[in-house]
Amino acid sequence: MFKFKKSMFVVRYRWWIIIATILIVLLSVVRLFQIKTNPDLWSYLPDTMLSRQNSKQIDEVFGDAEPLLIVIGNDDVLHAETLKRIRGISETFEADSRFNYVFSLFQAKNIRSEEGYMLVDPVITDIPQTAEERESLRADIRTNELAYGLVVSEDFKTALIILSSNKSAPDGELMSFVHQTIADYPGPEEIYVTGQPFLREDVNKNISRDLIVLLPVGLLLMFITLWLSFRELKAVFLPFSVVVFSIIVCVGLIPLFGWELSIIGVLIPIMMIAIANNYGVYFIARYQDMNANEPHLSMRRIVQYSVEYLTKPVVFCGLTTIVGVLGLVTHLVLPARQMGVVTSIGIAFALLASLLFVPAVMSLMKKGKPHKDLTGEANHFFSRLLTGVGKIITKRPKLVLGFFGMFFTICTLGLFFFKVAPDNNKVLPDKHQFNEAIRIVDRDFGGSKMLNVMIEGDAKDPELLNKLVECEEKLTALPQVGSVTSLATVVIEISKAMNDPNSEAYGKIPESREAVAQYIELYSMSSDPEDIERFVDFDYTNLLMTIQFKADKIADIDEVLDNLQTVFGDDSLNQYKPGGYALVEKELSESVVTGQNYSLIFAFFAIIILLAIIFRSIPAGLIGSIPLAFAVFCTFGLMGWLGIELNIVTALLSSISIGLGVDFTIHIFWRIKWELALGKDYPEAIKNTLITIGRGITINAFSVMMGFAVLFLSAFPLIRSFAFLIIISLFLCLICALVFIPALSLVLKPKFLEKSF
Amino acid sequence: MKLNHFIAILVLFFVPVTYGTVAAQDAEAISEKAMNAIKIQDMEMVSTINIYDAKGNVRTRQISMASRKFAECTKMMIRFLAPADVKGTTLLVHDYEDKEDNQWIYMPALRNVRRIVSTEKAKNFMGSEFTNADMSKPNLKDYDYKILGEEVYEGKNCWKVEAVCKTDKIRQENGFNKRVSLIDKNLYLCYKIEYYDLSDTMYRTQYISDYRKLEDGNYFAYKMTMENLKNGRKSEMIVDKFQLGSKLPESIFSPSMLDK
Repeated sequence: MFKFKKSMFVVRYRWWIIIATILIVLLSVVRLFQIKTNPDLWSYLPDTMLSRQNSKQIDEVFGDAEPLLIVIGNDDVLHAETLKRIRGISETFEADSRFNYVFSLFQAKNIRSEEGYMLVDPVITDIPQTAEERESLRADIRTNELAYGLVVSEDFKTALIILSSNKSAPDGELMSFVHQTIADYPGPEEIYVTGQPFLREDVNKNISRDLIVLLPVGLLLMFITLWLSFRELKAVFLPFSVVVFSIIVCVGLIPLFGWELSIIGVLIPIMMIAIANNYGVYFIARYQDMNANEPHLSMRRIVQYSVEYLTKPVVFCGLTTIVGVLGLVTHLVLPARQMGVVTSIGIAFALLASLLFVPAVMSLMKKGKPHKDLTGEANHFFSRLLTGVGKIITKRPKLVLGFFGMFFTICTLGLFFFKVAPDNNKVLPDKHQFNEAIRIVDRDFGGSKMLNVMIEGDAKDPELLNKLVECEEKLTALPQVGSVTSLATVVIEISKAMNDPNSEAYGKIPESREAVAQYIELYSMSSDPEDIERFVDFDYTNLLMTIQFKADKIADIDEVLDNLQTVFGDDSLNQYKPGGYALVEKELSESVVTGQNYSLIFAFFAIIILLAIIFRSIPAGLIGSIPLAFAVFCTFGLMGWLGIELNIVTALLSSISIGLGVDFTIHIFWRIKWELALGKDYPEAIKNTLITIGRGITINAFSVMMGFAVLFLSAFPLIRSFAFLIIISLFLCLICALVFIPALSLVLKPKFLEKSF
Repeated sequence: MKLNHFIAILVLFFVPVTYGTVAAQDAEAISEKAMNAIKIQDMEMVSTINIYDAKGNVRTRQISMASRKFAECTKMMIRFLAPADVKGTTLLVHDYEDKEDNQWIYMPALRNVRRIVSTEKAKNFMGSEFTNADMSKPNLKDYDYKILGEEVYEGKNCWKVEAVCKTDKIRQENGFNKRVSLIDKNLYLCYKIEYYDLSDTMYRTQYISDYRKLEDGNYFAYKMTMENLKNGRKSEMIVDKFQLGSKLPESIFSPSMLDK
């Protein structure tokens, strides 16, 4: 009686339901015009992150700047034409107020002692015109620690221009100026650019490009799938409209909450395409089924029966998906949390629209012609396949379980090779000039990553400077560290110029504070005063050590940090603060792992509880979560085997696949329970389950996988990896639900399956 | 740091008084009178340099300077008086008219006299926002001059004179493309100079003030300020004591005497 009332409600208030749905959608459409993209992952990180706080403090003292690197490659960068090009480019940047400083072969200093003279000159005073002059310059550079290996590679095949942007210009304007400047000085040299402004600018462009490409392709694919499945206009139009409405509502929530669309945001509409049609199609399938089998029923009656029949399983599936996706809310990274919130609401909207809007509209429509079987060969293929699977499961359930155990073991061995990405460089394609430049800088200039360490204390204190020297020695002994520069480096260079090589003071930090002060004063008088302020603040109370290194994994960064701790950890007088983009990226990666673990744990427990409630049994929750654990760990293992790193996008995988994958298990449990309630034994119940609901689950799973497959067209390799992994993960969930769960049920014969409804 | 850079400071501080009708003069003639009409004389002075960063923090240096001309060589000694940790650090410069100058530095903490050489021209003066180039006595023929108009500056009628570097080489050496000066119509005192960088954007402004009349009738500016619009820094040079002429013997200007 209650159910009847519920289905009557939909019919009675159908106009209200339709109007309310359209109003919500129209209001969301207005919001869509306010949406903004924000490619800066840094801006999404919580202020509580230690590396962010440290970086902020370092920026306050030493200025808020962002490096951009320009790599110039040629057979010999000391050729006159190449040098002219480097000079033209670097001097144009030097004259521009958007850069704090420019450092290249033409800005690097040469502090040296010659026949009793101290010389402080630019590395290149005049561009060499003859081979002899060129070789003389090469010999000079080889002995210059402030240039060799820093702005020119040891083989002289690569030169580097380091720009320090003061962040006064938007990324688009800045990068356009950089590219135009390079174009203004044409030449045969290969030039690559890298740096965060470039990354952000390119990501920003590609977010828009992705949305423009992926969304129409995804919707078109969805339309074709629905048409092939139902071949009836209203049957295609209704679930399709639910998908479009859900995308509009879901994406419209982003500006409503005052958020911006990040790279992760690209996934949101595609996820909605993959998920939102899940619920509406059940009604259409049910309507076509009833229309074909019971042609005497009116449309109104078909709608009422469909609502009564489908409400419960559809709500269960929707709820479990929402709970799984809500696991993303436990992430520390804001875009992941935002995605969790808006997609959960979007799925809830899709669920409600499928339960209310679809039947309400259907009740207003005329019945179509009875639908003939459209599955054709596919139906026979799936039926044959699933019948065969059912036979194997019921004959050799333990063997099946053993096979799964073996597969699980092999896959999870890959966890030994599982890696967390230490940075976000792979946001852009491997062959992109951004990554090409990073590879060259890693190879020729000791590393593309920068760690800034601010040390509080009296900058002129020889004891502190000697600590910097000790730290520098420890760090440069590490294979991943290319160079370490600090005030100590400069003071030692001055001491070499000011003392004879056989003198005790040569190449050392002076013994008295006054001597250090006088060295620094001399340097300030001999060069741009801002040069020294890259290493020490204006009132000489904070020092900055810059560590240039490369890192393939987080452990490489940790090793650098451990060495810093060894030198400064116990020093209460000279507090040290490590910061910089490399460290923020490292903490971001760690928070991605933590966030993923939290969301995984949250999703698992929530699903266990939900399954336990749905089937009124704790073992149902525990057994039902096994396919999810299987799929998640196997996917991680495969990531290890295939060398796919865990990053800000792939970390979203487990919550989403759990949320979607659990639906298959619910359907299988539901049907086995149904079949057992009809008095069938386990083998029969399992065989029937597979050929009935098994087919539906398989089609549903493949349509969701196809929805995610659109992501293979993304410009971002991270998103393409995500597409691959989510498809693998859903496939594993599907196989587990179709094969493992029935085999385990047959072996364990859990009581909850035998309880009556 | 070349001696002519230090001499240039005096050029800017030390302004001749040239009375007369000026209405008919062209821009180059005005500039010539303003810049090139005096001869450096022997002198001794103590001055304070305040260097401010963009946040307003200040770093103060006090220096004494003495300059005397001996035959073909003008010799100058600059000694730090403050802060304490660099007190006694001394620069000695021998500037020859027909050859490269010589420089020595004495660092008391090292008790070491060292000869130093630097060839950079657009370098900052004593770690301040003043550069050696823009403080140098300019070569009149290096620039194209134009009167941009007239302007009243602090109650004084001034010419607004533009001086544009003639060649790229001159631009590179100076580190700027042009400068625009406000020159008093009556006394030829220069009160303000705006410097434009290589992309022709104004990036520094120099203010010259506190002109005082000396016993020989010339004027001397006791205060100069340079504001850097690009990095937000500011430097000021204030003359604490000034004495026209010097009685210091030549032996004082010897490298061997620096550590005595």
